[in-house]
This record gives sequence, structure tokens and C-alpha cells, in this order.
Amino acid sequence: MRRLIAAALIVSTATAASDPVLPPYVPAYQPTDVDERGAWMIADEEERRLRDAPEVIRDPALNAFVRDVLCRTVGADRCAAIRLYIVRIPAFNATTYPNGMMTVWTGALLRLHSEAELGAMLGHEFGHFELRHTVASFRHRRSGNALLAWASILGGGFALQVATIGGFYRFDRAQEKAADLLGLRYLAASSYPASAAADIWVRAMAETDASAIGRYRKPDQRYTAGFFATHPTDLTRATYLRAAAAAIGVHGADEAARYRAAVAPWLPRLLADQIKRNDFGGSEYLLAQLAADGWTTPLLFARGELYRERGNPRDLVSAAGFYRDAIGRGDAPPEAYRGLGLALLRGNQAEPGKAALRDYLRRKPDAGDAPLISTLIAS
Amino acid sequence: MTLRRFPSIALAAAALALAAPVHAANTLIPAGQRIAVAGSVLTVQPDAEWNRLGVRPGRYAERWTRDGDQLDALTFYGGIADGKTLFREVNRKERPLPRVAATMLVTDIPILLENSYRVARGIAAMTIERVEPARFAGSDGVHFTYSYIRLDESLHRRGEAFGAIIRGRLYLITYEAPALYYYERSAPTARRVVDSARV
Repeated sequence: MRRLIAAALIVSTATAASDPVLPPYVPAYQPTDVDERGAWMIADEEERRLRDAPEVIRDPALNAFVRDVLCRTVGADRCAAIRLYIVRIPAFNATTYPNGMMTVWTGALLRLHSEAELGAMLGHEFGHFELRHTVASFRHRRSGNALLAWASILGGGFALQVATIGGFYRFDRAQEKAADLLGLRYLAASSYPASAAADIWVRAMAETDASAIGRYRKPDQRYTAGFFATHPTDLTRATYLRAAAAAIGVHGADEAARYRAAVAPWLPRLLADQIKRNDFGGSEYLLAQLAADGWTTPLLFARGELYRERGNPRDLVSAAGFYRDAIGRGDAPPEAYRGLGLALLRGNQAEPGKAALRDYLRRKPDAGDAPLISTLIAS
Repeated sequence: MTLRRFPSIALAAAALALAAPVHAANTLIPAGQRIAVAGSVLTVQPDAEWNRLGVRPGRYAERWTRDGDQLDALTFYGGIADGKTLFREVNRKERPLPRVAATMLVTDIPILLENSYRVARGIAAMTIERVEPARFAGSDGVHFTYSYIRLDESLHRRGEAFGAIIRGRLYLITYEAPALYYYERSAPTARRVVDSARV
């Protein structure tokens, strides 16, 4: 029965994906029964915590930009129901709560390339909200748990228990797909091209592979969702999103330049957070993607930091090269001289290293680490 | 509801807590005696009583506390060799920790601690504040202060650390406590332990 419901959900949304008319929307929806009120109460509590949390980025310009993309994607009436929080976590994710709170992680802002891609991600999240997935998931799990308990008392057998547990995860995967496809319908009704959604997952796969190779492992991309997987695999998502977008057809502009301009003030901080993840392969892949139109000063500086931190002798040589390239462009931060000096010093080039560190202190005499750098120059 | 599957760091931390050996006993550290810490050649002489936690953060690390490790924690990292991590890796495959290198400069020590915390504990809000040269365990080293907030907590925590690379190995002592009340309360005692450090 459960499988039938899940299958029906997939079929109904799959056919609906090509239908550009959005489902009717109810503003100021209130929770109706005890399950839903409970879910909203928990979400309200979490939102109270997040409102004062230090990891939330308050920058009005960045917040206005992300909200604007959400409103362009789902429409003005729908986006009024959402409170957006940009959270400083350097992983690729976004979350939705039943009460209309939505979080966007900074790792996602670093990985997306255009307003259309950001719209695809926000549309997916809004899809979860509009389809009220959290409360459906909760009810599904509770009924499944009751079934499991009865099965254990009445000797329902191993097969029934496996089928029930499998049902939890299959239900989650069906919800993800439903949200993906509803997100695509928002894009279809907006000024953004629907093809953007699939591009995100193609790059996510490439980044996962690059991380694995950077850690001297074989890339182990999953091509089918495992029994316990809560989300479809990236490949499955890229495939059905590409097919659904092709059915919608080509329209709109992805606004990549506007996206780059809006994120630019935050780019150095997003890159610094990414480099601290100790993921050389993944970071190198991200930098190469961002530098598709040429290496800018922040990207060169970040690449120098990435190589210097891994710190193999060959990395120190490469790092010094990237810092020099950044400095050669004329708008490098003083920290580029610091990085150059430390890379040379660690690579046994004492005199040029000390000269670069002196340049750093000349440009930033009140730096927090100035006394320590002075001892390196003196030693 | 999320955009994509994300490994729960809290779950991993809970698993780590469960994996700790149950027989590990805490020990009283008496005042006034010189004692070797973290199974290494690093020795200290506390002038007050401390409790050594039976559960060690890693093979080359040891933790002391006065009021409980959530309220103040003095952690010793003793002689971590080239290629080793500061503390135990929770998930070596997906979230490997940064490793000590014998060629590290003193400026790399704060970065190593920050990145290890970020990777292992999923801490996003961590700031290294003041970094200055300092004598530590008879060598030229670094003293730095920092502040951080653990994942899913809103409690501000402060920390300070003394470290040095001695004969290619990293020696480091950190003191951490909630910024409110507890940090100031035990900081002088902790600093006197650090001052007594010898290698």
C-alpha cells in the first residue's frame, strides 16, 4: 500500500512537472491538527535559537539578494511566507521547516554559479514547505514505528520489519523527488531557465569524486540509492531533472553575472571557510570551477592558502607562485605577502621569505600576528 | 527537510562518546608534584588539585579538569609526530583531520588547532584572536587566544593555548571554558600549570 502511495506521488508529480501552471497557494496557513501543531512548535523553538545565533550572516545586501531570487522563483505571494537565514556552514545544503523558516548554508552560495541555480535550490526547499513534507514524514514514521512494534509482539517476521524500515527511506526519497519536480515548476513559471537544476547535481558529483581522489581514495559515486538513503543519488536527480527541464523547453536567462557580483563581497570569507575543511581535492575543484572565466585575485590567494596548508615541498613552490600571481595583479590583500613569506620560509628559502614578511608588516603594521611574524623575520 | 543528505556530526559525536571505554577511570592529580602528561616527555607541576579524565581525546593527548570538562578543560598534546593528528579521528574516510608536519612554522600551530576543531566538531563559529610569540617548555613558541561556539549550542566558549615545535614534534597545551564566569575562574591556575611545563 505504502509503495503504491509513494509510486502515485512520483507519477503525479512527474506528469505535473511539464505543467507550467502552479498549484493554488494558501497564504497564512495555520497548523490544523495535533501532529502539525507539534511540528510547528519545534520549528518555532529552533527559529528563536537561530534568530540570535552567531553563525547567521546578517549582511542586509546578501540577505536581500537571496530573498529577491526566492521571490523571483516562487512568486511574490509565496515568498512572503518565508523567513530566510543565511547560516555560515561551509557545506552544500539548505533546509526548510514547516513554519516557513528556511536556511541557506554559505557552502551552497560558494558552489552555485547563477541566480537560476540559487532559484532552483530555493524552489526545491519551498517545495518541501508547500507540500508540508515535515509533518507527512513524521506521521509516516510514527505509523511505521507502531507497525514495527506490533510486528515484534505478534511475530510479524523479519520480512515485514525490513519492508517497513525500507518504507521510511523510500518515502523520504519520494518526497525529495516531489520537491525537486515542484521546484522545477517554479523555475518554469519564473524568468530563470529550468535546466539550471540539473547542472547543480552534475557539479556535486564531480566535487565528490575530486574530494575522494584528493584523499587518495577511489571515487565511489553511488549510482543507485541505497536501502537507507534518505535522498536520491546525485546522478538520479541530475537525470530526472534534465529530462523534466527538456520537456519544459529553453527560456529565460540564468543571470550568472548578477550572481557573481552579489556574492563577490563575501567570496574571500567563503573561500577561507572552504579551505579550512581540509579537503584539498574538493577545494581545488571548486576553485577551478569558479575560475572558469579566469583567475581573479581572491581565487589566486585562496589557491595559495590551500597549497601552503597542505605543505608538501612541491605545494610550497606552487603556493609561492599563486601568491606572486595574486600580487602581480596589483590588488592583492597584505595577507598575500604573508602567505608568500611563510611558504618560502617553510620551503627553506629564508631570505626571500623574510623579505616578503617585511613587505607584509609594512602594508599591515597593526596586524594581529605582527609580533609573531617579527620573530620569524629576526630568527 | 534538506536539499541533500548530510552526515550528522552530532550523531558521530554521540557514537564517539559511546565508543569510549567504560572502565576508564578519572584520577586525582595532587598539587605540588611533577608529573608526565599525555604519555610523553612533557612534564608539568600543578600548584592545585586537578582531575585527569580517563577518556583521552587521542593517543597523544590527555585532558584535565577542575569543575568538569564542560566547564573547564586543560588539554595536553604531547610530542605529536609528523603525519599524526591532534586527536582521534571520528571519520577518517569522509572527514580526515589535518596532520602535524615536522616542517610546520609556529604560525601554523593556531591554524592546525582551528582546522582540527572545525573538521572534527563541525564548529563554524571559531575565531583565533591574539597570536603572539611566547616561551613554552623551554623553547620559542606561540601563545594564542580564541573563541568558539559548538555546533547546536549558543554558549560562548573561550580558549587559550601555548605551543611549540620541539625537535620536529608538536607540544601544545590548551585551556578552554565558557566565557561567562568559568574562564576567568580557572585561567590563572591553568596558566601556572603551563608555566611549569618542561620537555
